[in-house]
Amino acid sequence: MLGRLLLKSLWRQKSRTLLVLLSVGTAATLISAFLSIAFTITERMAQEMRSFGANIILVPKAEPLEVEIAGLKYVAPEEAAYLDEPDLAKIKTIFWRHNIVSFAPFLSRVVQFQGRPVLLVGTWFEREISIPEGKRLFSFAGGSKREVATAKGTFRAGVRSLAPWWQVEGRWLREGEEGILLGSAVARALKVGVGSSIPLSYEGKLALVPVKGIVRTGGSEEDQILADLEFTQKLFSLPGKVDKIQVSALATPDNALAIRANRIKPAKLSPQDYETWYCTPYLGSIIYQLEEALPNAKGKAIRQVSEAEGAFLAKMRLTLVLIAAVALFVASLAVMATMVAAIFERRQEIGLMKALGAERSQVGFLFLLEGSVSGLLGGLLGYGAGMALARFLLARTFSMAGAGVALPLEWVILPCTLLLAVSVALLGAFFPVREAMRLDPVRTLRGIG
Amino acid sequence: MVPLIVLKDVIRDYNGKVRALDRVSLEICPGEWVAVMGASGSGKTTLLNMIAALDQPSSGLLLVDGIDLVSLTEEDRARFRREKVGLIFQQFHLVPYLTALENVMLAQYFHSMADSDEAAQALGLVGLEDRAAHLPSELSGGEQQRVCIARALINEPKIILADEPTGNLDAKNEDVVMGIFQDLHRAGHTLLFVTHDPHIGGQADRIIELNHGRLLPATSHAEGEPPVRALRDIA
Repeated sequence: MLGRLLLKSLWRQKSRTLLVLLSVGTAATLISAFLSIAFTITERMAQEMRSFGANIILVPKAEPLEVEIAGLKYVAPEEAAYLDEPDLAKIKTIFWRHNIVSFAPFLSRVVQFQGRPVLLVGTWFEREISIPEGKRLFSFAGGSKREVATAKGTFRAGVRSLAPWWQVEGRWLREGEEGILLGSAVARALKVGVGSSIPLSYEGKLALVPVKGIVRTGGSEEDQILADLEFTQKLFSLPGKVDKIQVSALATPDNALAIRANRIKPAKLSPQDYETWYCTPYLGSIIYQLEEALPNAKGKAIRQVSEAEGAFLAKMRLTLVLIAAVALFVASLAVMATMVAAIFERRQEIGLMKALGAERSQVGFLFLLEGSVSGLLGGLLGYGAGMALARFLLARTFSMAGAGVALPLEWVILPCTLLLAVSVALLGAFFPVREAMRLDPVRTLRGIG
Repeated sequence: MVPLIVLKDVIRDYNGKVRALDRVSLEICPGEWVAVMGASGSGKTTLLNMIAALDQPSSGLLLVDGIDLVSLTEEDRARFRREKVGLIFQQFHLVPYLTALENVMLAQYFHSMADSDEAAQALGLVGLEDRAAHLPSELSGGEQQRVCIARALINEPKIILADEPTGNLDAKNEDVVMGIFQDLHRAGHTLLFVTHDPHIGGQADRIIELNHGRLLPATSHAEGEPPVRALRDIA
């Protein structure tokens, strides 16, 4: 009887049932789509963000003592330590060399311009380098060996690929070209534009260099002058030297093994764990391999990127949660409005049920069951629509494989969506149903309640 | 004979201003057919609602089948309604989206367990076995009231309470419905009617008349039956 009552009641109020299905279905669509996107994009976002800059910095093992004056760092020549520019190609020979998206060397010193100190940074803007040919054998304590061949090839390095969002007014510098790019803040402060030449002095040497462009980076580079590495090496009398290398690498988010390896040093891992760790592209294992390739270098993870990435993902998750919460709230209101109208219309029926001996709880159960069934159906519809929406958004926003994309954890998203959809329907139904339970049968049957 | 229904000095006030029933006392014995008559607003329906446990007295004693209705909780009163009384309304109050059979089964569902065979038998008792699958909108007024009677009988209640049961029926349907009530009376059911119609009231064993919530001393009774005993007249 309950089933007949339920189905006939829902069918009789087709338009209202449809409204509840639409309300709950819309909320369920957003929830399932957002959950799916959140699961899918975590790794994808990490990759996307990797392409927005360096996440590893390599510096000489013997870090020089720096003195900071007026925001600029000075290094005493006798304290300075350097890395060798010819070694840079070795970066592309490590086990996870294919995960190295880009890198660029830097050599910087404070120079004088019209009596003002300003940081001159030499770098590669765009440099095609040859990757050393040959085979490398990676052997592990557990006895396993992995041989990796490096085919002869070239790799395009430099800040243009390391920081593709930089914008240059004028033009980029060519390889080996004498000239500079002015950071936009420096250009404003010095009132110098593209096409003019400016004198730079360093320890008695004077160079008149043409300004080829003004660069906007959104970072500290806007307070610097950028030049080709070779030019700065000559000016600073440091041929073939660099003092820093920034590397952009695709890395897997740390798991328990990576965290343990960071804490206790990789050498203390068991041979099996070490091999697993070494052969997984954690940021820590990539740094470890870079240090193996460049024995004089010490690698560090650039925290700003990791933190920015974490903060961005957290904000994105929060945004998704907020949108989903608003959708749930609106759906609850819609269900509530629908249920209020339905109960008002059916108050004589409720009065009759009570007159026939129905208890409050039986009346409440009946209406909550109607709400739950509507919620469940809305949840199922919303889940289907949400999966389609997720695939569409992932295809459009993240250039993933459209309808063919495999969404992870669908089996988790379905019950979550259904649970939330039923909860929304019950939440929306709760207050109207409570009022229905309180209706006085005498008044409602006489049409005055 | 032990009375099935006992009212003693029952008062029902609404908001402390309107007195719908004023010190009403009476007894109704099992198997009796009693008609409650009076002008509009005299308290007839209030009296019926009291006995149906749809409403509660402001003061006084109200016993039905030995149960003190004054002290019952809301849930106990719901249980009393589904177990002890069958209600018949002037407006029928059938659920519009359920068939005649399902409307009868609804009362079974709240009582214990719905049984379509039993519900069909109840419809057969009122001559509607062929109309079981029809919706109320597909039935005449008389047929709807007969569904209502079948619904009232399905749980075998001790008392059948009817509020103007023929008020919305034409003469032909009125005769059919009253014929069913006479059959029920002969079968030993206790019937309490509220009616305006002296012709309907005249078919009862006795008539109770209310005026401004008070039971009038002058009452009538059907031929060969004992006179009405209003407690206050006896006291």
